[in-house]
Amino acid sequence: MTNAKQPAIQVQNLWMSFPGKQAGEQIHVLERINLEVKAGEFVCIVGPSGCGKSTLLNIVGGFLPCSQGDVTVEGQPVAGPDPRRVFVFQENGVFPWLTVQENIGFGLLKKSVAERAGIVAHYIEMVGLHGFERAYPRELSGGMKQRVEIARALAANPDIIYMDEPFGALDFITRLKMRADLVRIWQSEKKTILFVTHDIEEAVQVADRVLVMSKRPATIQNIINVDLPRPRDLDSRGYLATRDEIFAAMGMSLRIGESEAEAARPNGAHAPKPQGLIPN
Amino acid sequence: MSATPPQPDLATFTGNRGPRAQNFQWSKIVLPIVVAILFLLAWDAGVRITGSDIFPKPIEVMRGIIQLIQRGLLLKYVVASLYRVTWGFTLAVLVGVPFGLFLGWYGWAFQAFNPMIQMLRPISPIAWIPVAILWFKVTDKAPIFLIFLASVFPITVSATAAVQNMQPVYLRAARNFGLTQFQLFSRVILPATLPQIITGIRIALGVAWLVVVAAEMIAVNSGLGYLIIDARNAGKRYDLVVAGMVMIGLIGLVLDLLVRQLEKFDEVRWGYANR
Amino acid sequence: MSLKRTLLVVAVLWTALITVLHLKLNLHVQFFGPKPKVEATQKFRVGFIPVTCHLTCPVTDFINKNMSGESFFEPIRFNGWPEVKEAYLSGYMPATFLLAPLAMELREQGVPIKIVYLGHRDGTALMVNKDSQIYRLEDLRGKTVAVPNRFSNQRLLIYKALKDRGMSIKDINMVEMPPPDMPVALRQHAVDAITSGEPFMGQTELDGYGRVLYLTKDIWPNFISCVLVVSEDAIKNRRPEVQRLVDGIARSGKWLDQNMDHRMEAAEFVAQNYYNQDPRLLRFVLSKPPDRVKYTNLAPLKKDFEEIEALAVESGIMQGTVHFEDYVDTSFVKDDTAIQPYAWEGKKP
Ligand SMILES: Nc1ncnc2c1ncn2[C@@H]1O[C@H](COP(=O)(O)OP(=O)(O)OP(=O)(O)O)[C@@H](O)[C@H]1O
Ligand SMILES: [Mg+2]
Repeated sequence: MTNAKQPAIQVQNLWMSFPGKQAGEQIHVLERINLEVKAGEFVCIVGPSGCGKSTLLNIVGGFLPCSQGDVTVEGQPVAGPDPRRVFVFQENGVFPWLTVQENIGFGLLKKSVAERAGIVAHYIEMVGLHGFERAYPRELSGGMKQRVEIARALAANPDIIYMDEPFGALDFITRLKMRADLVRIWQSEKKTILFVTHDIEEAVQVADRVLVMSKRPATIQNIINVDLPRPRDLDSRGYLATRDEIFAAMGMSLRIGESEAEAARPNGAHAPKPQGLIPN
Repeated sequence: MSATPPQPDLATFTGNRGPRAQNFQWSKIVLPIVVAILFLLAWDAGVRITGSDIFPKPIEVMRGIIQLIQRGLLLKYVVASLYRVTWGFTLAVLVGVPFGLFLGWYGWAFQAFNPMIQMLRPISPIAWIPVAILWFKVTDKAPIFLIFLASVFPITVSATAAVQNMQPVYLRAARNFGLTQFQLFSRVILPATLPQIITGIRIALGVAWLVVVAAEMIAVNSGLGYLIIDARNAGKRYDLVVAGMVMIGLIGLVLDLLVRQLEKFDEVRWGYANR
Repeated sequence: MSLKRTLLVVAVLWTALITVLHLKLNLHVQFFGPKPKVEATQKFRVGFIPVTCHLTCPVTDFINKNMSGESFFEPIRFNGWPEVKEAYLSGYMPATFLLAPLAMELREQGVPIKIVYLGHRDGTALMVNKDSQIYRLEDLRGKTVAVPNRFSNQRLLIYKALKDRGMSIKDINMVEMPPPDMPVALRQHAVDAITSGEPFMGQTELDGYGRVLYLTKDIWPNFISCVLVVSEDAIKNRRPEVQRLVDGIARSGKWLDQNMDHRMEAAEFVAQNYYNQDPRLLRFVLSKPPDRVKYTNLAPLKKDFEEIEALAVESGIMQGTVHFEDYVDTSFVKDDTAIQPYAWEGKKP
C-alpha cells in the first residue's frame, strides 16, 4: 500500500472514561491509546467484548468527545462527524423509507441529478444490487441491506470509512462473501478503512494490520502486521500462523490459561474455512 | 404509489394469492355485513319486544334518512360537518405535527410545555363550548375551534413520542453526510417518525369526528350534530336523532378507511407490523 | 405517486371542494352571476329558541318578509339557554329573547342589558304522567320536577305555588333539564313532573301520556317567562332599529291574538320555516285552550317585575340590588293600546 507522508488517522495518548452510576464514580474505558493509520491502509481493531472498541471508533469518527488526548484525522483535530469520512454502524442504518437507490444517493444532494444517477448506478453494480434499485429495505435480506449501507458510504466518496462490526449480524457464508466484496472495493477505490470486529478470522482475512486491545480499561496491547499476499489463501501457513498469533495475544489478555494454542480455540467452535472465497 | 420491482407493491407482500388468500378477502367484506345485519335484526327485535314507540325501528330510521335526502338536508348537513371537521382537523395537523416534532427534538421544550399539554389534554371539548362562543361568536369558527382543540393534542403527543422513540442509528447515519438542521428534519426526522405520526393522525381524526355533535350544539344551523339537536327540538322525531347517529357512524367508518390507505404507502409501510 | 404528493393534492382538493360546497349549500354564497348587494351595515340580529314564548320573533320576521320582501332584522335560532346567553354576552347579537329572571340577574351582575318588551304572557304548564297519582300540587311532595333553568320563571312559579300551599321548594326534588328532553323524560318516568315553555308541554298531551297538573293562568295569571332584551349599547347607537323591532314584535303579538286563523297560519309557517317541528304541535298549543299563551298586553309593567323580583330574591337566585328602573327601559312603548296589528291576512294559496 502507498505510504503517504502524513498518517490518515493519528491518535495520541487518548483516555476515555464515562461517568458511573454513583456521583463522582468514573468508568475507565480507554487508557493511553496511541495508534496511527496510514492513508489507504486497511486496519482492524479486535478485542474482547465490552473493552471499548466501539468507543474508540466513535471518538475517532467524531461521534463522541474523548476525555483526554489528541485525535487528528488528515492533519485536522476531530470536532465532529465529517462528510469526508463515513461511519458504517453495527446496527443497520439504512433508511427504511427510501428505496435502495435513494439510500445510496442520500449523501449526494449537492450533485446534479444526472451525476447522482451515474454514481448510484456505479455502486449498485459494485455491490451487486442490480435489479433492486427501486426496492425498499424491507424487501431486502439482511446481507443486501448491509451492502446498501456500504454502497451508501462509498457513494459519498469519503477518504476514510469507519466500520463497526458491519457483518456481525450476517450468517457465515454471507459474511465471507461480504468480506471479499469489501476487500475488492477497497482495492479498487483506494480508501482508508478502520474496521472493528471481534472476529479474529475476519481481521486476518481483510486487514493490513490488526490492533489487539486488552480488556477494560483497554490499551492497545499488540499490533500485528498481516503480511500476506491477496487474495488470501485461508489454508496457507502464513494465514494460520498470523491467526494463531492473534489468538495467542487475545488468549493471554483473556487469561483462559492452558497452552496458547488451546486458548486460541476455546470451544473448537470455528467452522471449517472454505477455500478461495477471498478473491483477488 | 411508486412501483417496486419485481412486482408493483401490494401483491408482493400480502402473501401468495392462493384460494385461502381469496377467502380472506371475501370474509373481509361479507363477515362485517353479516354482523351489521344481525345487529339490525337485534335492534328491530329489541324495539318490538319492549313495545317502545319512542325509540325508532331501523326501518323508521331508514325512512327518516330518505326523508332527509328528499328535503335536500342530508347533503347539506354532511357537507357542513365535514367542512368543520376538515378545517379544525387540518389546522390541528398543521400546528400539532411541527409542534410535536419540536417538543420531541428539544428536551428543554418538552420539559417546559409537556405539563401544560397534559393539563389541557383531558379537558373535554364540551367544557370549552362557552369559551368558543365568547371568542368566536356564533360562527363556523366556534365548532372549528372545538374540533381543533380535540384533535391537536393527540397529534402533538404522538409526534413528540415518535421523535423520542426514533431509532438513534438513523440520526447517526444521517450525521455522516453533513446535513443542515433543516435537512435533518425534512430528510430524516420527519420520514422516520411519519408512521407513528400517521397513526396519531388517524386516532385524532376519530376524535375530531366524535366531537362534531358537541361542537354543533353551538347555534350553527347545519351539520349532523345540529340535526340531532334539532330533531330533539322537533318533538317525537327520534328517528331523525338516530338517523343523525347512523350517518355520523357511517362517515366515521369511511374516514377511517381512507386514512388507513395512508399506511399502505411505501414511505411508511416499514413502520407497521406486517399485516 | 409519493405519499407527500398524494397527501398534499388530496388535502388541497378536498379542502377546496368541501369549502365551496359548504359556502354554496349552507351559507348560500353566490359564486357566479351578479353578487347580492352587500349590506351597508349588519342586520340587527335577534336570538330566539324554538318555543312559543319567542313566537313573535319568527312571526315578525315572516310577516315582514312577505309584506315588504325583506325583514329588517335577522332572527338567530339557538337550542339552549346557556348558548343564547353566551352568544349575547359575546356581542354577537345586540338583542335576544331571554328568561326574565335571567335577564334581571345578568343586570345585577353588571351586564348592560335592558328589558324592552315581553315575549308573551302565560304559555307554561306543569305536566305529570297520565298514570301517575299526582292530582294536586300537594302530591308533588318528594317527587322529581324538571325545570329548564334555575333562572327560569317556571322555577319561581313552582316556588310560589308551593308557598301558597304552605309547602317549600325543599319538599320536592328539582332538576335542570333542556326543554326538548323533557317529554321523553316524563314518558319514561325519569322525572315525575316537567315544566317549561310550550310546545314541549303540549307535546306530551298530544302524544297521549301527559296530563296537565296546572296551566300558568290558573296559578299566576299573566305570568311572564320570556322577555325581549337589548344591549344598552344598541339602545344608544341603534335606537331606530330597536324601536322598529319593538314595534314589530308588538304588532305581531296583536296580530296573533286577533283571531284563530292568524294563529293557525302562524303555527304552519313558524313550524316549517323556523322551528322545524310538526305544525300539529304548535296548532295544538296555540288553540287548546286559546288562552294557554297570550301575546297581547306585553308592555313591561312595574308591578309584574316587582313580583318576580321579590320571588327571585326570596328563593335566593337574586340579591335584590337592582330594580325595575335598572333593568327595564319602557321608553320604546309609549302607549301599548295604540299599536295596531299587522294588516296581513296570510299567504292565501
Ligand atoms: N455512554 C456510556 N456510558 C457509560 N458507559 C459506557 C457508555 N458507552 C460505553 N460504555 C462502557 O464502555 C465500555 C466499552 O463499550 P464499547 O461499546 O466501546 O465496547 P465494545 O468493545 O465495542 O464491545 P462489543 O465488542 O461488545 O461491541 C463498556 O463496558 C460499556 O459499559
Ligand atoms: Mg461495539
